[in-house]
Amino acid sequence: MNLNTKATAQNTYDAIVVGSGISGGWAAKELTEKGLKVLMLERGRNVEHIKDYTTAMKKPWEFEHRGLLTEEQKKTHPVQIRDYPYQEFNESFWVNDLECPYTEVKRFDWYRGFHVGGKSLMWGRQSYRFSDLNFEDNKKDGHGNDWPIRYKDLEKWYDYVERFAGISGQAENWPALPDGQFLPPMEMNCVEKSVKSRIEEHWKKSRIMTIGRTANLTVPHGGRGSCQYRNLCSRGCPFGAYFSTQSSTLPAAVATGNLTLRPFSLVDHIIYDKETQKATGVMVIDSETKENIEFFAKIVFVNGSTLGSTFLLLNSTSAEHPNGLGNASGELGHNLMDHHFRCGANGEAEGFEDKYTYGRRANGIYIPRYQNMNGDKRDYLRGFGYQGGASRTGWHKDVAELAFGGEVKDQMTQPGMWTMGLGGFGESLPYHENRVYIDKTKKDKWGMPVLAIDCEFKGNEQKMRLDMMNDAAEMLEAAGMKNIKTFDSGSSPGMAIHEQGTARMGNDPKTSVLNKWNQMHEVKNVFVTDGSCMPSIACQNPSLTFMALTARAADYAVTELKKGNI
Amino acid sequence: MDRREAVKNFAFLMGGALSATTIGVFLDGCTSPSANKGSNLFSEDQNLIITEVADVIIPTTKTPGAKAAGVGPFIAQMVKECYPEDAQKAFVKGLEDLEDRSKKEYGSSFLKISAKEREQLLGKLRDETVASQKAEAAKTAASGKPDLKLEKPLAAPNRYAKNTPYFFAIARDLTMLGYFTSEIGATQALEYVQIPGRYDGCVDLKPGQRVYS
Repeated sequence: MNLNTKATAQNTYDAIVVGSGISGGWAAKELTEKGLKVLMLERGRNVEHIKDYTTAMKKPWEFEHRGLLTEEQKKTHPVQIRDYPYQEFNESFWVNDLECPYTEVKRFDWYRGFHVGGKSLMWGRQSYRFSDLNFEDNKKDGHGNDWPIRYKDLEKWYDYVERFAGISGQAENWPALPDGQFLPPMEMNCVEKSVKSRIEEHWKKSRIMTIGRTANLTVPHGGRGSCQYRNLCSRGCPFGAYFSTQSSTLPAAVATGNLTLRPFSLVDHIIYDKETQKATGVMVIDSETKENIEFFAKIVFVNGSTLGSTFLLLNSTSAEHPNGLGNASGELGHNLMDHHFRCGANGEAEGFEDKYTYGRRANGIYIPRYQNMNGDKRDYLRGFGYQGGASRTGWHKDVAELAFGGEVKDQMTQPGMWTMGLGGFGESLPYHENRVYIDKTKKDKWGMPVLAIDCEFKGNEQKMRLDMMNDAAEMLEAAGMKNIKTFDSGSSPGMAIHEQGTARMGNDPKTSVLNKWNQMHEVKNVFVTDGSCMPSIACQNPSLTFMALTARAADYAVTELKKGNI
Repeated sequence: MDRREAVKNFAFLMGGALSATTIGVFLDGCTSPSANKGSNLFSEDQNLIITEVADVIIPTTKTPGAKAAGVGPFIAQMVKECYPEDAQKAFVKGLEDLEDRSKKEYGSSFLKISAKEREQLLGKLRDETVASQKAEAAKTAASGKPDLKLEKPLAAPNRYAKNTPYFFAIARDLTMLGYFTSEIGATQALEYVQIPGRYDGCVDLKPGQRVYS
């Protein structure tokens, strides 16, 4: 490539952030606020806050298919249709699978959104801290490698990101789920309150139930409006009431005057310089024009989502890094994990027929992990937490089979019975053989090779699912529920959209890709702070931890840069 | 557990994060053969019959029924755009059979027979559909390949797994979905609050309180 000096200067920044989702947004915010000139690259289109949430204020009858997908959409989105998130209500936020194929050695559901904000626009917003129980499990049971950090290393960064993002929740003083800097909690409904008190009484507080800790604002916060209880979050929030790149980190980064955001910028590879043993920048494919452009920087933050980031590192080969950038350990691409879920129990509540709720709460309840801790011992490793909630059935309630007519219609307009459900989210172990690699036999729309994914859940997860059902039924029973039914609807890796691992942190460069600062052991000016860095996944929803790790890594990176170490 | 049940359970799991509308959305769907998007899938009379069928399923009571809410054209559009060819065929065949049967059993077109007769005829169709669905479920269970007995541990079933399309079941599902998400259904039969602004977890149920749409 013949770049003249002027073009090089124009394309040079202090830092490049690859990706604009939850962790990329945080990297851009932190680095720009510390005075760095930052280029944030996003492979997809721009989505402007509020203006581009084109369905957010639509009424139910304004959707042509009332949420259902057309046959056309099913054809172009064969992966995205495998579960509920892709709907007519938010269809523009999910990828056309035909444009970006991948190879499923075993079934892996890969849900993706190519646009500024990434999955921060569609995420579930549940925000839980990891505890030392989680940071120590790998070391204790020998699965995976030891985390290079402990809770004390991350605690102040959790504080820091929670204060900015705005997390509503209730402090519980539960050791396995540390409390945070909470905005006021959302309210439980009367059935949930009753279930909570009966479970906690029955198990003498060795199991607890709390309101979901969620990145929805219960009070105005940081110039953003509070939740309006519409429960339409995944369309984008015109009130800015949940944390997303657009509502939160992007405006902060823009306000510094130090940010350049470039959409339609698919990063092909990270450019490596063997003299300095550092990255000098990235080569981008303009995803509209397919033009190749190089950008340069002193630091590169890789935040392209778990598998997107690992793909980029695997695709960044050189004589010195023939198997992918910083992959001397051979661990890059390995230890892929996801939560397994869709398994639990539900029942019917009696005695609350004269009670109802007002507003649509985009949040449920949470029962943090209690297995394999505090003297509770199971025949599998690690554990699970529950999400769930109670509600009164609406027009979709059960009526007699295929019943119709005026009476049925009127019955369907009355609030039905109260039901309460608990669904487990289980930890999966880091298995070396659950891996991804580059498959050069296929090409995507942009001429890039594709990712092959070879991942499965195993016996430990399978065993855990029995308890996920039985414990849920047991708790609902203790809470006085009737007609309790357990369910296991099956769970394929990828479905939880909590895919993590494949570029893990660790103290030993021989067995890990990143050090305790999310810095590549072998390429000191490259940091990876999205889900790919995780040595284990606990059973909590992970995004809050990505935020904390990113803010911490950015702080370290700038300190090192100022010291002249990178 | 059938798909409907699985979906409901999943709704629990999301802690009420799925709206009733969304759940309704899951109750149908198949994949593969391309949809016939032609505007001539239904004859003019068939379009009228669809409208009348919907209005028997959800008639006017103290609130307007399916016809007033425009559910007929909605069903026709949905069958054209959101259903695979086999379901479209089954639906057209169902309309033809309904008309034949109306003429045979009541001596006139479905469009001409009385409201009472329409209700009776659809009642028979409903009973037959329920019986067929049950027989099919029993057969599937007996043949030892139930959908959810998974070959691979943990694998999730196909959301759009092939199942036999029944005219009456499709018509009823789309009537319910179309009506309760229509402006009339959502605001008059149900209560629609676009921006609740707050969440009250425990309020006294008012007499005559309708479900929130």
